[in-house]
Amino acid sequence: MKVRQMSMLVVVLVIIGLLASIGLPAAMAQPPLAAPEGAPYTIGVCASITGPASSLGVPQRNTIAMLEKRLAEGIIGVDGVHHELKFIIYDDESNPDTAASVASRLIKENEVDALICGTASGNAMAAMPIATENEVPMISMASARSIVQDPQTGETRKWIFKVAQENQHSGEWQAVYLDKLGVKTVCDLYENTGYGQDCLNQTTKAVQAKGIEVVYSDAFERSDTEFPQMSGVQASGCEVLIVGAVPPGASLVTVAARETLPNLPVVQGHGVCNKDYIKLAGEAAEGVVFPCGRLMIADKLPDDDPQKPVLLEYTAAYTEFTNGEPISTFGGHAWDAAYMLVDAMRSLKDGLSLKERRALIRDYLENNIKNWPGTGGMFNMSPEDHMGLTYDALVLVKVTNGEWAYYPEEEWKLE
Amino acid sequence: MGDAIPKFLRTRTGGSLITGLAVALLFGLFLLLGSSKGLTWPQYLQLIVDGLRGGAIYALVALGFVTVFNVTGIINFSQGGFVMLGAMTSVSYFNLPALSSIPANWRMALAALLSIVTVGLVGVAIERLAIAPARHSAPLTLIIITVGVYTMMWGAALLIWGTSPYQLPAFTTLDQKDALLRFGQLTADGHISWVWGSAELPKGARFVGVMIKSQSLWIWGTTAAVLAALAYFFERTITGKALRACAVNRRAAQLVGISPSRMSLLAFLLAAVLGAVAGVVLAPATTPIYDMGLRPGLKGFVAAIMGGLVSSPGAVIGGILLGVLENLGAGVTKAGFKDIFAFVVLIVILIVRSHGVAGSGATGVEEEH
Amino acid sequence: MDQGIEPAAAAPGLRAMVNEGRMISVNTWGFIALAALIALLGWIEIARPLGIRFSALTSGILTMDTMVRIGILTIVVVGLNLLMGYAGQASLGQAAFYGMGAYASAILTVKARTIGLPVGLTTNWWWPWLVMFGSMAFVGAFAYLVGRPILRLRGHYLAMATLGLGIMIYIILRENFGFSAAEINITGGSDGIPDVGRLSIGGFALWPVERYYFLVWAVALTVLVLSLNIVHSRVGRALRAIRDSETAANAMGVDTYRYKIQVFALSTMYASLAGSLYAHFQGAVSPGPFDFGGSMELVLMSVLGGIASIWGAPLGVAVTLALKELIRTRIHVVLGGSGGEQEVIAFGLLIVVIMIFMPDGLAVGGVRVIRSALGGPPARGQ
Repeated sequence: MKVRQMSMLVVVLVIIGLLASIGLPAAMAQPPLAAPEGAPYTIGVCASITGPASSLGVPQRNTIAMLEKRLAEGIIGVDGVHHELKFIIYDDESNPDTAASVASRLIKENEVDALICGTASGNAMAAMPIATENEVPMISMASARSIVQDPQTGETRKWIFKVAQENQHSGEWQAVYLDKLGVKTVCDLYENTGYGQDCLNQTTKAVQAKGIEVVYSDAFERSDTEFPQMSGVQASGCEVLIVGAVPPGASLVTVAARETLPNLPVVQGHGVCNKDYIKLAGEAAEGVVFPCGRLMIADKLPDDDPQKPVLLEYTAAYTEFTNGEPISTFGGHAWDAAYMLVDAMRSLKDGLSLKERRALIRDYLENNIKNWPGTGGMFNMSPEDHMGLTYDALVLVKVTNGEWAYYPEEEWKLE
Repeated sequence: MGDAIPKFLRTRTGGSLITGLAVALLFGLFLLLGSSKGLTWPQYLQLIVDGLRGGAIYALVALGFVTVFNVTGIINFSQGGFVMLGAMTSVSYFNLPALSSIPANWRMALAALLSIVTVGLVGVAIERLAIAPARHSAPLTLIIITVGVYTMMWGAALLIWGTSPYQLPAFTTLDQKDALLRFGQLTADGHISWVWGSAELPKGARFVGVMIKSQSLWIWGTTAAVLAALAYFFERTITGKALRACAVNRRAAQLVGISPSRMSLLAFLLAAVLGAVAGVVLAPATTPIYDMGLRPGLKGFVAAIMGGLVSSPGAVIGGILLGVLENLGAGVTKAGFKDIFAFVVLIVILIVRSHGVAGSGATGVEEEH
Repeated sequence: MDQGIEPAAAAPGLRAMVNEGRMISVNTWGFIALAALIALLGWIEIARPLGIRFSALTSGILTMDTMVRIGILTIVVVGLNLLMGYAGQASLGQAAFYGMGAYASAILTVKARTIGLPVGLTTNWWWPWLVMFGSMAFVGAFAYLVGRPILRLRGHYLAMATLGLGIMIYIILRENFGFSAAEINITGGSDGIPDVGRLSIGGFALWPVERYYFLVWAVALTVLVLSLNIVHSRVGRALRAIRDSETAANAMGVDTYRYKIQVFALSTMYASLAGSLYAHFQGAVSPGPFDFGGSMELVLMSVLGGIASIWGAPLGVAVTLALKELIRTRIHVVLGGSGGEQEVIAFGLLIVVIMIFMPDGLAVGGVRVIRSALGGPPARGQ
């Protein structure tokens, strides 16, 4: 039909128009600067803004957007030359293929100086070979150890760093806590994602090292409404239930556990360190114990805690920028990653080539991040350790009266 | 001799015998697997009851699939999106500042109504804008269109509501915490007593039995009401009969003056309403989030096909069966494998059916041209 | 397409042969054109005439990375077109076979120690190739076996059975075959397997991307030629007969069941091959791309390009990926701010619009538009 053909033509023209928006200048007239002007620095970011990992990725995107505004006046290098700082953010759709595509685009087309990539471990690992082959430093916001360390050979990956606390540390805290209380059998429920599975593995390793047995373990989906796993938990007779998940799944499991087995103590992992957990679980969250980054209890820390200023700064800035959205540790990872890179860039002289900049940034990250206060903890990177955190980046926290409360060792008792 | 057995199998009694045998085998399998986990009778019951709850939701969604398919021949992959929108809009309407002066129970009813109406309108819009222009295309094309529509739906939901999970209070208590009904045995300080209905659990008491959340009663009640309403609609009203006529034979219906485009619109409206109802009653039991539509949609589709895709009662039975199978399967094995359990059983059912066993003559739906 | 010659006393058989001949020559020219284009683009990237990179030609929208992905997915979708478009069998689980090939390549090359293979064997340059073709054969055999009961179903029942099969395979891959990671970590669970190596022939590494591009497209073009030959042979006609009406084909003596199973197995072999190429390209395999969503994406690309046409496969894949990249890089021009959310909505909208206006897919619809634009008479069916 004629009309159809014409409309089709219109659609095609629109697409061509988009295509042809070649050098559409993001025109911004630069006001003349007092300091000499050097080449602009670019940081590429790939976060999961859509898809199953979006509840972690959107706070990261928001944090980067906030930093874009905060750092709008650019960076002054060590020789006094001013450099404009740009962030380029792409959505990786919680899909490792897209993550790889996007990382490749950022490196080759957008020619970024460094990458902040990977909300979820699978996506970070998809971007990892591309960063390594093209010699671009990459900071991952995901927590799997294999991102920075080759699981087969144990070697540290030269170009990859990460800023997220590990499930290993979380597991170690759980093991220490349970061991102190004399628990011998536990059940473990985990969400059926890479994060949850890693939680299971790390927790199992950690508690077994203390002589505690995992008598029952099972997975659940984030979107489950029924929890048949509770029958298994009940039948196994374990003393404590450990959960490895993020909200909302973690909250729903807590509610289901409290309903079926009201006397069973529940211990969570560090993935529930955000306000959504308590909000969604309501009363059921009362008495739940879990290791947490200091970000969520920032105002309860002693004033001489070296992390406190950063934590309060991040909390205030993020809350203001997003008009009151809750802070989360995931967004904090983006803050840490970005500021590490900014510090690295501040140490650069002007006039370096792209290749040189990337190499120097990498060197800085490896060698100069010492006692660096971030939202995730105090970072100490080294050539063997591209993670920089130990298990006291976390503290044990208990939900009391609907709020987190610092749970010091003296007070530990089974609920 | 070799021929007589298959012939016997094709008879009514033969078919029922096979079905009965298969069901018995299945339950035997469940018991075997469950005993290795140490499950007891109350736990099996609990698994079945919980499965019935999920099953009721699947039944509602499956009805939506069947309605649309019957009238238009399209498999509407945006059905799950209607469920999601029903849940999300009900949360938004319930929390609307303009309505905050209304007492909570009326507000809930109003929110439910508004949400159903809104989603119904969305269904109409989808039909008019995306389906009607392509009505004469191949079914596969229309299926892809519905996939595109579903993508737009969850993208828009992400934009509007963000990634935070929301909450709708339970209908009974109008609070986050739902009322729990316990049926079973209570052991406190050595005393054993029976409870039937709601009862508070004294501290330190052990309970063995079945628990039902009151929201489950709402879900079952709503599903039953919807089924009754649909039955009445299809049997007693002119429009309903016209819809059924379309389902039986589109061309003949057209010849007697029923407008296929109006019927298509009606079918989508109905499917959207069904999806919205499912979403609204499901919302308190889960945490509504922008991508919650995919799983109910998929499960509803499976349930609809299990029921034959052309029969409403079949869809309902399919949904309930799927819910129970899934939950039981998850309870006796690992939860990660529950889909495998359900699908294996379903595929076996399909294959067995296609051989004409168990009395069903349907060999599947061939595409009409 | 069949504006054939009209010799005065043309017997129908002769007309069919002539048209067939025309089709073959059109296809040959088309193939040569595509191969030349691929070679040209690859050469541009390697030789950089005038300092231009390939991606500059499309102002940064299409990159080499995208071109390789287009090639890999073309291989899968060609199989899907054969199955859905020519044999008329639904398949909503194709991504699972794609995943089987990918995981086979990953496991047998990376996890050698875990599964007890001698490391000296797996580090040879020819080992990944052996695995690639071996898993093709294995997946084909598996599909043949599994297809026997399933392909007795028709229509929506078949669709659901393939859907179920796909989901089951995905779950098995994701759940590490049911073992806990502490016992034996084969598939790496949801995180998958990292550090998959690159392919090489002897000492010649098929990396970086510019070289791998040629390998992938060589395979894709081979698959295209193979499939075109199938389509224009007796087998192809039998398949089309099955698609149009299985009952009639049966009545005419076509062994529909055997053909269906064979095409199904062939399509899964294509998928497995593509999966292996994908594993060595991505460098890591995880289960995410192989679930029901992944299968639906494949079906979408197939339908978008036109399922009843082999050329529809590369067209559908190219358009889908190009649209995604286009949206990703230009969305901030149309709407301010980086919107992952807006990208999703835009993509969904484009799909709906394209399917409304070109219901038979771009290959068929596009030809029609070009013909009527050039003022020629409208083409009858293909």
